[in-house]
Amino acid sequence: MDMSQYLDIFLDEAKEHLQNLNEQMLLLERDINNLDIVNEIFRSAHTLKGTSATMGFNNMATLTHEMENLLDLVRNHKMKVDSRIIDTIFSSLDILDQMVISISNGGDDSLDATEMINSLRSISSGESAEGKDQNSSSALGNGREDFLFDEYDRTILKQSIESGYSVYKILVTIEAETILKSARAFMVFHELEKYGEIIKANPPVEDLEKEDFGDHFSIILISKNQLEQVKEAVMSISEILDVNISTVTKKDLELETEDSKDIKKIEEKSQNNNSTKIQANKVSGKMVRVDIERLDELMNLFSELVIDKGRLDALANDLRNPILTDIVEHMSRISSSLQTNILNLRMVPIEQVFNRFPRMIRDLSKELNKKVNLSIIGADTELDRTVIDEIGDPLVHILRNAVDHGLESVEDRVKNNKPETGEIILKAYHSGNFIFIEITDDGKGINREKVINKAIEKGLITPESTINLTEKQVYELLLKPGFSTAERVSDISGRGVGLDVVKSKIESLGGFISIDSKLGKGTTFTIQLPLTLSIISSMLVQVQEEKYAIPLSSIIETAIVKKDEILYVQNQEVINFRGKIVPLVSLKKVFDVPNSTNDDSDEVAIVLVRKREKVAGLVVDSFIGQQEIVLKSLGTYLSQVFAISGATILGDGQVALILDTNALIK
Amino acid sequence: MGKSILVVDDAAFMRMMIKEILTKNGYEVVGEAGDGAEAIEKYKELKPDLVTMDITMPEKDGIEALKEIKQLDPNAKVIMCSAMGQQAMVIDAITAGAKDFIVKPFQADRVIEAISKALG
Repeated sequence: MDMSQYLDIFLDEAKEHLQNLNEQMLLLERDINNLDIVNEIFRSAHTLKGTSATMGFNNMATLTHEMENLLDLVRNHKMKVDSRIIDTIFSSLDILDQMVISISNGGDDSLDATEMINSLRSISSGESAEGKDQNSSSALGNGREDFLFDEYDRTILKQSIESGYSVYKILVTIEAETILKSARAFMVFHELEKYGEIIKANPPVEDLEKEDFGDHFSIILISKNQLEQVKEAVMSISEILDVNISTVTKKDLELETEDSKDIKKIEEKSQNNNSTKIQANKVSGKMVRVDIERLDELMNLFSELVIDKGRLDALANDLRNPILTDIVEHMSRISSSLQTNILNLRMVPIEQVFNRFPRMIRDLSKELNKKVNLSIIGADTELDRTVIDEIGDPLVHILRNAVDHGLESVEDRVKNNKPETGEIILKAYHSGNFIFIEITDDGKGINREKVINKAIEKGLITPESTINLTEKQVYELLLKPGFSTAERVSDISGRGVGLDVVKSKIESLGGFISIDSKLGKGTTFTIQLPLTLSIISSMLVQVQEEKYAIPLSSIIETAIVKKDEILYVQNQEVINFRGKIVPLVSLKKVFDVPNSTNDDSDEVAIVLVRKREKVAGLVVDSFIGQQEIVLKSLGTYLSQVFAISGATILGDGQVALILDTNALIK
Repeated sequence: MGKSILVVDDAAFMRMMIKEILTKNGYEVVGEAGDGAEAIEKYKELKPDLVTMDITMPEKDGIEALKEIKQLDPNAKVIMCSAMGQQAMVIDAITAGAKDFIVKPFQADRVIEAISKALG
């Protein structure tokens, strides 16, 4: 069967299960005697095993199988959870994670997991009461088909024959590839018990139960039924290759020699499934999985519709036909709620990003020997899928920093009268058109002097300029390229990749990052992100015949200034705006817009934009107004156009380019 | 028309797999359920000729669901879907009245063999 079509859904579910496993393991680590959690972990591992085996990822299946074995021992009270088990399972999860990543990148699961499998096995077998003795029992499979009856057996069989029963010797061969052979054998027993009484089995029942047999076994059955009926009954069970039945006569019995082996009925092991109910942590709603590309497509189509709506709008305004106006107004209302709906479809809870952090913090705190408690607030806050995909790495970086540099060692904390366990709070919330993510630690805070000294040392600032720096400005130095305050380069953070990378990532998402800190009390990183990247609020401006959109998030204000107020500093046009010298950038010059109208007014329109603390004035011809626009990329061929981040189609069908103001301010 | 079958498994992936195998072989999958409780509801509603029932599921596992379905309808034909290493549970299920079991990873011919034998 072609499996490739299932790959996506397989990967999706595998990731969910791994996430669940990690979460549950963290819970288990805190509450090691909670068998409900063990059961939940077991169940997840089990499903993962099944699906990966089906997809043919046998390495994954083997690893999960070993995990499951170990967990099975735990949940059946044969083993206690200890840190070794937890660590080993965590490491196994990491390997599984890597396998899944490799598979989703078009690879396979061929990662070497032997070591992990072996250590899982050694834990299972080392302390397991059920360690299988490989050398037990005779060479089965090719074994003796003949039974050795003891005196007691013989007496019973003879009596049975005398009272009119038949004694059948039944040789059952099951298909070679059968999995769960002993359950298959049990089905045979179960079926045969309807026809009579099973006296003996070879190999003995204990071995059948342990799956310690080849592809066949034999049974002695006392029955009143005809041989054919019995045969048919056994053959009706699936995976049975062949059944060979012969009748045992009194004569046969007399020839038997003595042997003593007892018969045990197959014990019906009652798994205590009923006692261990797993609390449902997810209410399974009616869900449909949709490819994000389809949503993009939907959004695209919708924006085409918005364009036509805009044209209708304009038409209705001109014609002043009340009926048409009515229809257009209704359409406007519907399309705006449609837009909200479509945007909501793209929204995913930030949980998806957050939920891998508890595990990460746990590992970090172990590695660094610090005690850390991570609280997550607002994990259900939703934001655009495209942002979600990008925000993970920057957050990892900041969190690592918080644990590594922010929090003090346990000894230092005790010395400073702080609780041994450091607190890190990860909080997400909505505000206006933005989502805020705050990472707060109660560590040592940022040392102003240290930062300044370091910055001078690195040549980022001059000693003279430090006197007037505000706290904020000092902290911002941390975000500069080439800055790292860590005295030593640890394994955790400070690998040469500084916070500047975090900053540029967040800015590329249209967001901001700021730092706030109190020495000795802790540090807070605040990230502000736009709710969505596909629809942005913008200001439309006119430059000659062309229209441009400037994202509202980067605009400070607009102004009209007299031409004679424009000054020149080193051949650069500037204005004195509210006591500040602001350089002017003429969009007409930057984009080489052809002249079409004579410019004879004595005023210029300026849009003041900022990039962090820097401000610039963009000279335009006129302001058109504020508008929500649908961002469309320029495609791969034009992705490198200077200072343009995309394009949008306006209501009248015209195309407006969207400015990337960050590129205009150097 | 093919015999009607209800497919129960908590993994949507597995349901899809079984469904494909069944549909290709002329059976009609009349419903799907993601856990034991849903399976019982669906059974009452659809009265399928046969149920394929996963053993490990959240909330209500396959064996509990099997037992309840058997109570509702002693003639219900249920085939358990298990994985390697679930010997004991399979045996439990057979005792509780399951017709047969199939083992993951599924092989189409095995699945069909079990189902046709159970229905026949």
